[in-house]
Amino acid sequence: MEFTTKKAPIVNNSSRSYKRSLLLHFTLIFVTLVSLGLQFYVNSLENAFNALVMVVVSVIVAMTLELFYALGEKNVRKFEQYKGFVEPINIALIIALLLPAATPIFVLILATVIAIYPAKLVYGGSGYYIFNPALVGVLFAQISFKEALTTAVGDNLTPLMMLKETMYGTTHNFDLLQLLTGNYIGLAIGTTCALLLIVSLVYLCISKVVDLKIVFTFLLSMALMSLIIGWFNGYWINFMIVNLLTGFTLFAATFLISDSVTSPTSRETKILYAVIIALMTMAVRVLGNQVEGIVFAILLGNMLTPWMNRTVKRSSKKSFLTTIAVALVIVILAGVGLGLLSQNMIYPELTNIMEVLS
Amino acid sequence: MLTEYKKLLSPNKVHLPLTDSFYKIATAVVKAGEKVLRGQIIAYKENDLVKTPIFSTVSGTVVEFKQMRDRYNKIVDHIIIENDKQNEDVEYKTFDGEVPTSVVISQLTKHGVNILDVDGIYTSLKLDSSINKVFVNIINVNEPFISTDYSYLLEYAKEVADGIKLLGQGKKEVHVILDKYMPAEPKEALIENLGDFDYKLILVNSSKVSGYDYSEIKKIVKEKITNDLHDNGVIYITAETCKVVSDVLRKGHAPFERHILVTGDGVKDNAEFEVTVGTPLYYVVEDLGGYQDIENMNVHVGDYLTGVQLSDDTFSITETVDAVDLSEFHEEPEEICIKCGECNDVCPAGILPQNIMDAELRELNLRIVDLHTDECIECGLCSYVCPSKINVLEWVRRAKRRTN
Ligand code: SF4
Ligand code: SF4
Repeated sequence: MEFTTKKAPIVNNSSRSYKRSLLLHFTLIFVTLVSLGLQFYVNSLENAFNALVMVVVSVIVAMTLELFYALGEKNVRKFEQYKGFVEPINIALIIALLLPAATPIFVLILATVIAIYPAKLVYGGSGYYIFNPALVGVLFAQISFKEALTTAVGDNLTPLMMLKETMYGTTHNFDLLQLLTGNYIGLAIGTTCALLLIVSLVYLCISKVVDLKIVFTFLLSMALMSLIIGWFNGYWINFMIVNLLTGFTLFAATFLISDSVTSPTSRETKILYAVIIALMTMAVRVLGNQVEGIVFAILLGNMLTPWMNRTVKRSSKKSFLTTIAVALVIVILAGVGLGLLSQNMIYPELTNIMEVLS
Repeated sequence: MLTEYKKLLSPNKVHLPLTDSFYKIATAVVKAGEKVLRGQIIAYKENDLVKTPIFSTVSGTVVEFKQMRDRYNKIVDHIIIENDKQNEDVEYKTFDGEVPTSVVISQLTKHGVNILDVDGIYTSLKLDSSINKVFVNIINVNEPFISTDYSYLLEYAKEVADGIKLLGQGKKEVHVILDKYMPAEPKEALIENLGDFDYKLILVNSSKVSGYDYSEIKKIVKEKITNDLHDNGVIYITAETCKVVSDVLRKGHAPFERHILVTGDGVKDNAEFEVTVGTPLYYVVEDLGGYQDIENMNVHVGDYLTGVQLSDDTFSITETVDAVDLSEFHEEPEEICIKCGECNDVCPAGILPQNIMDAELRELNLRIVDLHTDECIECGLCSYVCPSKINVLEWVRRAKRRTN
């Protein structure tokens, strides 16, 4: 036996970052598999097959890129274990799940390359990137290949689009069961089945992989705002349910906004971060035409994160409670404001301008 | 979980260190070969300000003076005394009944226990006039081993209570911190012995690692707490230190034994010990049945979050040791900070260690000052919770050094 003083005199608790990313990894794989099955069920066999190819290609592209980069940096040792592949695979899966089932494969490959190389590796790799890499890839695809993606979705209206239309007079019926099980053709492969996402979210919350503060604040703000907006438009609770169950909301809560690297690090800023994203999401949904604007909202939140991290000085129970109170006020005011705007009650010109712009 | 309570009171030899980080110079007043009694002054240690006697903790013969490793992993002069196991004492001057604070102070100083300082945020017994609050922590914790054994308190409830009274007399606010789930027997023993003395109980759940003592003290002091609680007019001590106070006055000498926890998977058994001050650690390990068959051993003295890492087991148990952990060394690679913010949430001082670490990495001095880095009490909780196993405290310390 030998004595060693190598270890700092500290006993650690049992939580490990690696274990967390692994849990997230398995949850993502699970969600992917179920979503592929669902595509087969609600969409055509052809689309389901394309979705499967997308997932596989995206994963392969992400892994190869990381490997080549590591070769260039002479740092391949971390890929000797499966551990090294967990993050690229997660990113690849998220990208595939966020795109429509009939996406042309070259669009997907480009999105993955963008996500892994400029959005992640260039920033310094795991732990250092500022924007959620998967989202950067998805946004790139959405902006650059708008046409291709629109044709991929076809004429199917997503629930959010239908909701938007009802505001202007058309009537649509929503089936709660359909929304919960994802039995409709959505804008993306993996974001439709609300039930599946709720289960994953609860599991990830229990196993402390995602931060409860962010997830809860986000979902609560969304609920509250959509409730108020719904009330202004005479919908009452249905408006809120559709807003929560569709349009990437649950997917974002589970896999995107709670990503710890791109979210702030203190209690107060976490609350603000979640509120800002919820607010932007609702604003884009109500005012803009880009109904699935949550991608923008989250990237905006990511952009503000370094700034928020550099603004806070300390944290205490009192300031935490103050933040919660302020956040609540902001959410309610924003809800009222958006509600009025959506009814053209204030600044009708503004709404017109928004419409022209979009 | 510790269940055993052991006494180890007659080692063959004791090794008593002569200097430490506070006292740099020592003069011995005995020679090798000389016979000494228990409680006899064998040396004086001093620094620019104070001079304190060192007492023999056994009776026997001085063997030699030798440079050895102390419990801070420093090589210092030790005096080695062979124990004749007769426990022959010198004559002691004792005090009965009520003792005025001034006498308490002078006796503590005379016995050199006023500057005795254990690890963590505990303070020494410097009872000057600015002190108006006394906090006593009765809970024994050496995480991850929580001691549920209160044998020590059961056995010495009277002395502990007496010490609390002696320290708390004269309009000082006294708070006693107890565990919520503490067994009734020792609790009642303590409360009974405290009688109608005026004090308040603070009940905490010690199984939750959260820096409870710090936040409780902060709540009561109602001002910014710094590294040294003395500045807030507080002394914060353990049950054992209370017994030291009582012993100094009632028995005329500081205890010759020290109460320690020996834990970890590196030894055959874990136990709570009463050992003679000056007993080398290997002697204690032998008593526990020796080491487990493992390759690399970590010896860790003191608080489980902030203590000292030792390079062997030859150091002796002194008055400043309250726990020793002997565990197998596990290579635990640091991962990248995932910015989960758990360190920020746990920090009892309410500062943001992750942000401080970030500022330190970028060498942003102004930002480090802005983040109230100097308020860190070095409790180590940030390193404890970090899922990436980063030694966050070390970064905060570096940031502190940079801006000091
Ligand atoms: S920074 Fe770390 S060591 Fe310092 S007070 Fe906060 S949690 Fe404790
Ligand atoms: S706990 Fe560790 S991983 Fe989490 S923010 Fe703090 S330093 Fe980073």
